[in-house]
Amino acid sequence: MAHSLKPECTPLKHKYDACFNAWFEGYLQPLSAPALAGGAAAKPLTQEAREAAQRGKREEYERTCGKVWEAYRGCLSGALTEKRLDDLLQQAREENPMLEPESPESARQR
Amino acid sequence: MKFFRQTHVYDEPFPTVTLAFFLRYPNPYASHIASVDVIDRTFTERGTLVTTRLILKRGSLPRWAPKGILGPRTETWVIEESEVDPSRGATQVRTRNLDHVKIMKVVEYAHLRPHPDDPTRTLHETTATIHSNFSRLLQNRIEKFGLNKFRQNVEKSRYGFSMVLRALRSHRLQVL
Repeated sequence: MAHSLKPECTPLKHKYDACFNAWFEGYLQPLSAPALAGGAAAKPLTQEAREAAQRGKREEYERTCGKVWEAYRGCLSGALTEKRLDDLLQQAREENPMLEPESPESARQR
Repeated sequence: MKFFRQTHVYDEPFPTVTLAFFLRYPNPYASHIASVDVIDRTFTERGTLVTTRLILKRGSLPRWAPKGILGPRTETWVIEESEVDPSRGATQVRTRNLDHVKIMKVVEYAHLRPHPDDPTRTLHETTATIHSNFSRLLQNRIEKFGLNKFRQNVEKSRYGFSMVLRALRSHRLQVL
């Protein structure tokens, strides 16, 4: 696992990353109704069941990684201001708030 | 402004490729990565996961920037914003440099999704724009530099990424 920008936070960061990665693997698995014994194919979930499953995943994340996330965040706080990254981040966010790629066509029109 | 576009197909399914994307640092092909921090992570109403990571890259600038422009600084901060939607099978990532933006601004978009013809494989679409605002005289030269450098880096990061994917596969085998 990579280091933290603030060396003192690296152990906490590693702890948090390990927690997140373990949870993330499960979060990424496609949601499907449990297959019946005997190997019947899994059925797609209804909207409600999917939302409930997503809520469950989110709660699991907060339960297992919430505390170490707060500790890691706490450790990092101040470091961004110290390195003057706050302003850079703010500028970057204002500059280009959308998450969609710009096409060569749209850029040429400007 | 220069543009880059490329599509790559991985033989692994979407969840494995997305996991590898988050685990790709460190790897032996990314020794220039000095630090990676998650500075923000939230869930959206739709249940997708939005992450902002701050990455410090070292020594990568002087190679593309004409000598003397940057002075002794050889670091650059990069912000990576991503959204993972496991139920739709889509991961979108936007990466850009935070400093030295006047000399050159590189914005990279990555889009991961299951291959439409074969869901056991994953498509990785990369789009990038490279833009210099430094001086009229140098703009084109810097942008060309940047585009070439970007192309080389895509190649290099592909090796690193493949290593992480292989490691994930053998880890899975051990777990089974």
